[in-house]
Amino acid sequence: MTKTNPNSKRALTAMFLSVAIFLSACGGGAATSTPAPSATATRAPQASSAAPSAAAASSAAASAVARAAAASSVAPSAAAASSAAASAPAAASASAAGGTPAASGTRQVKADNGMITVPANPQRIAAIGNASLPFIDLGGKPLGVTTIQPSLLELVPKEQKAIYDAATNLGPSGGAVDLEKLASLKPDLIMAQMPTADFDKIKDKLQSIAPTVYYGLGTEWKAFADGLAAAGNRTEALAKQKADFEARIKSIKETYRETIANTTFVALDRYDSSAAGVFVVTHIGCVEIAKDEIGLNLPARTAGATEERSFEQIGDLDKYGAILYPVDAAGQPKTAFAPVVGSNSWKALPAVTSGRALGIYCPGNNSYGAVLTYLGSLENALKALPKK
Amino acid sequence: MTTPATNIAVRTPRAVSAPQRRLLGLIAALLLLLALLVLSLLVGATRIPPAVVWDALFNPSANIDQFAVRDYRLPRTMVGLAVGMALGLSGALIQALTRNPLAESGILGVNAGSSFAVALAVGVLGVRDIAGYMWFAFVGALAVTIMVMLLGSTRRGQSSVLMVLAGVSVGAVLTGATTALTLSDPYAFDQMRGWRAGSIVGRPLAMIWPLLPPMALGLVLAFAAAGALNAMALGDDLAMAQGVRLVRTRVLAVAAITILAGGATAVAGPIGFVGLMVPHVARWIVGPDQRWIFAYSVLLGPSLLLVSDILGRIAMAPNEIPVGIVTAFVGAPVLIALVRRRKASTL
Repeated sequence: MTKTNPNSKRALTAMFLSVAIFLSACGGGAATSTPAPSATATRAPQASSAAPSAAAASSAAASAVARAAAASSVAPSAAAASSAAASAPAAASASAAGGTPAASGTRQVKADNGMITVPANPQRIAAIGNASLPFIDLGGKPLGVTTIQPSLLELVPKEQKAIYDAATNLGPSGGAVDLEKLASLKPDLIMAQMPTADFDKIKDKLQSIAPTVYYGLGTEWKAFADGLAAAGNRTEALAKQKADFEARIKSIKETYRETIANTTFVALDRYDSSAAGVFVVTHIGCVEIAKDEIGLNLPARTAGATEERSFEQIGDLDKYGAILYPVDAAGQPKTAFAPVVGSNSWKALPAVTSGRALGIYCPGNNSYGAVLTYLGSLENALKALPKK
Repeated sequence: MTTPATNIAVRTPRAVSAPQRRLLGLIAALLLLLALLVLSLLVGATRIPPAVVWDALFNPSANIDQFAVRDYRLPRTMVGLAVGMALGLSGALIQALTRNPLAESGILGVNAGSSFAVALAVGVLGVRDIAGYMWFAFVGALAVTIMVMLLGSTRRGQSSVLMVLAGVSVGAVLTGATTALTLSDPYAFDQMRGWRAGSIVGRPLAMIWPLLPPMALGLVLAFAAAGALNAMALGDDLAMAQGVRLVRTRVLAVAAITILAGGATAVAGPIGFVGLMVPHVARWIVGPDQRWIFAYSVLLGPSLLLVSDILGRIAMAPNEIPVGIVTAFVGAPVLIALVRRRKASTL
């Protein structure tokens, strides 16, 4: 609420200087306008949400999944020992965890910008744009990151936020990364996810600083996780997350088969950028996982990714069997959504008074760890849903 | 030479005198506004029967539809009324003061001052809600207008031209500074998007009550300056010859503009065209007398805003278009049609 952004401070200083110049030149009427750096906001709306639960641990298939993950994203490099290419990431990961110096050798990773040759065991990684949190979720510790939307950051688990805060902030977004600052970190690998138009403008400069693996915003989240794990040498962690994910999906589908089959759901959200008095019915973010993986009966996507609704229409939500709304790790409504929950209409809604409005915690929909947390929260909600 | 009988025959259809015509027009404008106030309560994103709307206002109970009326439709209607009055009147004032038919409150830097103050509040202090923006916007508008008045003053007194130039210059600097702040942290400024589009939705009545007394004061100040502004329309020298105190009148007018436009922008964000267009319509109906122009602007301003807001609710239902966008779409063609009439743009 009261956090001061360093970029804002710089802009403020520049602005005060320009105002001072203007005032000093007022007699002559000369006005100096502040040069405005170009920046593009990259925002992937996502569902969010509440009661976090520990992800089920299931590691039996871990090594098999690790090999599958490696095969899907990593191709042997000519420079690397050909026979060791597939299993090298897992071994390198173990040594990286021990803090040993970077192993010599490279491997190739498939990314949206082609087959990229990366160090087998990168030690100095910059994760910019939307790559920051998914890489941290894999257990990575990037040296440099770019600013994450505050409404997303407030939902990230504390330990992951601490890693994010400890990294050097390289700019307000992936497309507006401070290249000089990035170069000064001397990264041996850059991971990036941002709009293609933004990446195209800086890709040559990024490549000149370090090998860069880039994924567009349209990349499916599982493929994105595969790519980041392969490039950042985190395939072992990914394998465990994948195994846990599969197990959790299976468990939820079996345990709540009847509820899932007989209940209509709707997922709501609200963003910092939402106009006052407006919330959205969302079809994207974590709710996609609920629909595609669990099979929840959610409204069909007819128009855009989200559909704006006036607060006046809160009463119309009662036609659904259950309402999913975003909460934080402590189970409190997400800051941007709090006005909806605080409204008289919401409090009077039969779905709310009968316990069919379910706060769901979604720390992210772009990595397995975050999705596992979401699934845990969803499972708790399904368990708490009153029988008809 | 015409006979008396012929005179009577010709005069009969023109029996209504100009003052009577103005008064009848004013009553018609008042009735139009009342009709729009009722329509604003009846029309919305969800269908609510008129009987429920009535009960919501006069037989309240804990019913969701009644909440929709009391918590959303009633406040947005009241905000539309107050903001429309303030924008219409401040537009008429600034056009009279500057003798410029293209002037609106933004020309004194009011919008730029408000936006800059809100950007500071969001970027530096982390303010995240509309209620928080409101006071920063109001203070920003006041501070910038005072600065513009000082910059527009010379040893020989104030000059409308100097004031406008100062307003445009300060506005340009602050707009640049606001853009720089916004680009420095796009995520933080996501929150400002809704406010910058100009909207009267989601402002609870409790939020705007504190601004109503100063806005009422602005209304009184405006009408207090109306007579003197009539004289000033003939030129400063002639006005002084008629005993008008120029500095006092300008200070009164600028104070009223600041309070009215600053208050309106603080509540609703920057809304264009109302302050520009409404005085033109009023002038077209009543001629150059500022007292009548002001009275008409007070009634036509909220009418335009409410029409735009109602259109914004139904044009893309169930989605809504912010009123600030609709006023531009509605206002631009009407203004073009009006300014092509010579009578309409005469000051």
